[in-house]
Amino acid sequence: MFGKGLFTGLGITLKRMLGPNITEFYPEEMPNLPPRTRSSMGLDPEKCISCNMCANACPNKVITITSEKGESNKKVLKSYRMDVGRCLFCGLCTEACPTGALHVTQQFENAIYEADELKWDMIERAGKSRGRGEQA
Amino acid sequence: MGLERTEELSLNMGPQHPSMHGVFRMVVTFDGEVITKIEPKVGYLHRGLEKLAESRTYTQFIPYTDRLDYLSAPHNNMAYVQTVEKLMGVQLPERAEYLRVIFAELARIASHLVFIASTALDMAGWTAWTYCFRDRERILDLFEMSAGSRLTVNAMRIGGFNRDVPPEFWPALKSFLDDLPEMMEEYFGIFYGNEIVMARLKSVGILPKELAENLSITGPVLRASGVQYDVRKAEPYGIYDRFDFEVPVRYGCDSYDRTLLRLDEIRESGKILRQAMRDIPEGPVTAKVSKIIKPPAGEVYHRVENPKGELGFYIVSDGSPKPARVRIRSGTFINIQMLPIVALGWKIQDLIAIFATLDAVLGEVDK
Amino acid sequence: MNALNQLPLNIAAAIRSLFGDPHSIWADLTMDIISIILVIVLIVLAALILILLERKVAGWTSQRPGPNRLGPHGWFQTIADALKLMGKEDVTPAGADRLMFKIAPMIMFALPMMTLAVIPYGHGMAPIRLNLGIVYYLAISAVSTLALLMAGWSSNNKYSLLGGMRAVAQMISYEIPLVFSLLGVVMITQTFNLSQIVADQHTIPFIVLQPLAFVVYLIAGVAEVNRAPFDLVEADQEVVAGPFTEYTGLRWGLFFLGEYGNMTAVAALTTTMFLGGWQGPAILPGYVWFFLKVGIIIFFQMWVRWTFPRIRIDHLMGLAWKVLLPLSILNIFLTGVGIYIYQLIVPRIGG
Ligand code: SF4
Ligand code: SF4
Repeated sequence: MFGKGLFTGLGITLKRMLGPNITEFYPEEMPNLPPRTRSSMGLDPEKCISCNMCANACPNKVITITSEKGESNKKVLKSYRMDVGRCLFCGLCTEACPTGALHVTQQFENAIYEADELKWDMIERAGKSRGRGEQA
Repeated sequence: MGLERTEELSLNMGPQHPSMHGVFRMVVTFDGEVITKIEPKVGYLHRGLEKLAESRTYTQFIPYTDRLDYLSAPHNNMAYVQTVEKLMGVQLPERAEYLRVIFAELARIASHLVFIASTALDMAGWTAWTYCFRDRERILDLFEMSAGSRLTVNAMRIGGFNRDVPPEFWPALKSFLDDLPEMMEEYFGIFYGNEIVMARLKSVGILPKELAENLSITGPVLRASGVQYDVRKAEPYGIYDRFDFEVPVRYGCDSYDRTLLRLDEIRESGKILRQAMRDIPEGPVTAKVSKIIKPPAGEVYHRVENPKGELGFYIVSDGSPKPARVRIRSGTFINIQMLPIVALGWKIQDLIAIFATLDAVLGEVDK
Repeated sequence: MNALNQLPLNIAAAIRSLFGDPHSIWADLTMDIISIILVIVLIVLAALILILLERKVAGWTSQRPGPNRLGPHGWFQTIADALKLMGKEDVTPAGADRLMFKIAPMIMFALPMMTLAVIPYGHGMAPIRLNLGIVYYLAISAVSTLALLMAGWSSNNKYSLLGGMRAVAQMISYEIPLVFSLLGVVMITQTFNLSQIVADQHTIPFIVLQPLAFVVYLIAGVAEVNRAPFDLVEADQEVVAGPFTEYTGLRWGLFFLGEYGNMTAVAALTTTMFLGGWQGPAILPGYVWFFLKVGIIIFFQMWVRWTFPRIRIDHLMGLAWKVLLPLSILNIFLTGVGIYIYQLIVPRIGG
């Protein structure tokens, strides 16, 4: 019968209107992201052996590492910078890291105001997030 | 009479028109509301992916393929990595093959859900749109928990996967598949079964079989014109020959059949997923490939059935770690050729609907 | 209850009594000004509430809560939006016909003000009592076509022009079934006076006697105020925003106000003509009944809007000329026959 489809549609929307809503109230309720989510990269400077594997794996030359020779001829990480504006968040760098120093984190609130803030100093960030961790 | 004169109106639709998918642009000439000429203009999203590939290693190019048809990233990953594997002659472990099918079919469902949603939205069916996106969310969650990202999944590697899916993936997949029939019923109720939709799409934008074949249209658009052609059956890749599924065909050649065909495909994908879930063996998910991928010199072409059409990669290798040339055959780029021919003589509203049924994703059109 | 029912009338009488002669021209003038202000307040209030309600309904149908940040359950959202609109730059596009561009939104806003002024909100509570109420209402509401065409033409934008032309085609077509569907009621009541029509419904609302006309009027009314599924005029998927494409800030806000005002007006007329207006069980005052019924009609319109996709322009025309018009004529015919039979029977059985 003509009009049957129309009424079915009305029925469906009415059912949904009366049913529960499924919104996640984001800033109040933080989403529970699975541990594999690549929201940003985090570095554990102590574990890093400055092998440069991550920088080589990156398709977009996001990572620049400088290191210097420390005692017993071991490389010591001096600076670790990520130009996140160019990052694809593909995770190839974390896969390449042999020690697990570079890892994905679920911290997704990366919005910033200035373009310069897109240049992450990973060692500094690691210090900050550790500070936060202790407070919490 | 005589002194009166009607003038044609040429209208620039896009790249920022509200219902253009992405940044597609067309210059349309109208006589009143009737279309007399269409000139599609593509290229606003051109990022030079083919050229980028030449300066990346084989593995490094995988995340870029996510950005082709970003609504079904696993398909693009799969097309690309299978091409490289074909070139290198890598044999995948069983589990990886099954996982690839699972990812691909999930992506097909997700992509078709976006298709239904955006087609509904192009006809102002706002609520249908949210329902489809609500359910697509569950697929994206599956991707997120297993590969780490929702849209640019980047799940596959040359030689399989970088890691297995987590254990909680399987119950979530099962519950999604269990709910699928109910969801499809809801889409039917709110969108397909609606008389307004039928009136707007039925016998609109007829793409005859001959024309479709001559334009080398592929994917659901072709199958809705009565041609039973699907790369999964015609030239099975991966392990698709092991599954029992049908290639849905419709003979209406019109916009409504093109839309309905997507629903049929969701059903078939559900079937494949169930079989894959039942049969998947335990084992490793990565074949033994060296860290630095250096395929032998040579060239290879491989194609897969993307939700939107046939997606092919042509790769020339000179034996170095970087491809010498990558060429992408994207289905929608070829499919939108039909627009200026098929939409002639229809009205502006039909043009929007016809364009919607092509399911063009500009990431793939412009590359 | 009766006191509450009569409250507005008593207030009016009190104001009049402030004048030496309660029926002097000055008293009348004061009352008219007060009525006009009340109608404007009504439109603004209606828009404020309806915009939010629309968004709430949109949210509920798609399993969202709708706006919920400002105020309790987001009820202050529209106020914030209105303030935002006031802060926007007022842009007049280059090459626009400035005068027409500027007066079009004013006309659009003035129309529901004029139509809502003749609606009886309660017993004896029509701001302006007109003997030709229906004719006046229809004449005024038809002018909104003009406002949309002016906006579409003067914006110097092709999308606006397309939208404006659609507005003309659509509204003129729907005007006819709209008028014809009301004729049945007029035939029964033998009057064009809206207050009289409401008074005549105290036993039975005309929706029972005129179900066909009610359906036709409901559909044509939705089309007349350009709401989905007949919102071809501002179909954003096709013509961006139709005649409103180039409008910004308060001017755009006026269109919006006008639109929601029109929607209220159509719902108010439906209530008056078919649902018994302010008549209702005496548990609630008459004007509450009236707004309740208006609210139900508007909710129905919203529900439809968030369920159905947009109809195509040729089907829209086909619906008006091939379905609604014959149905409304059939309704007139049936009403005539009904009245004839009624007149034949009632005197015999002791009427
Ligand atoms: S996520 Fe990808 S693009 Fe970003 S730094 Fe790592 S490898 Fe480079
Ligand atoms: S790959 Fe890991 S260990 Fe090596 S430099 Fe990068 S972060 Fe440090």
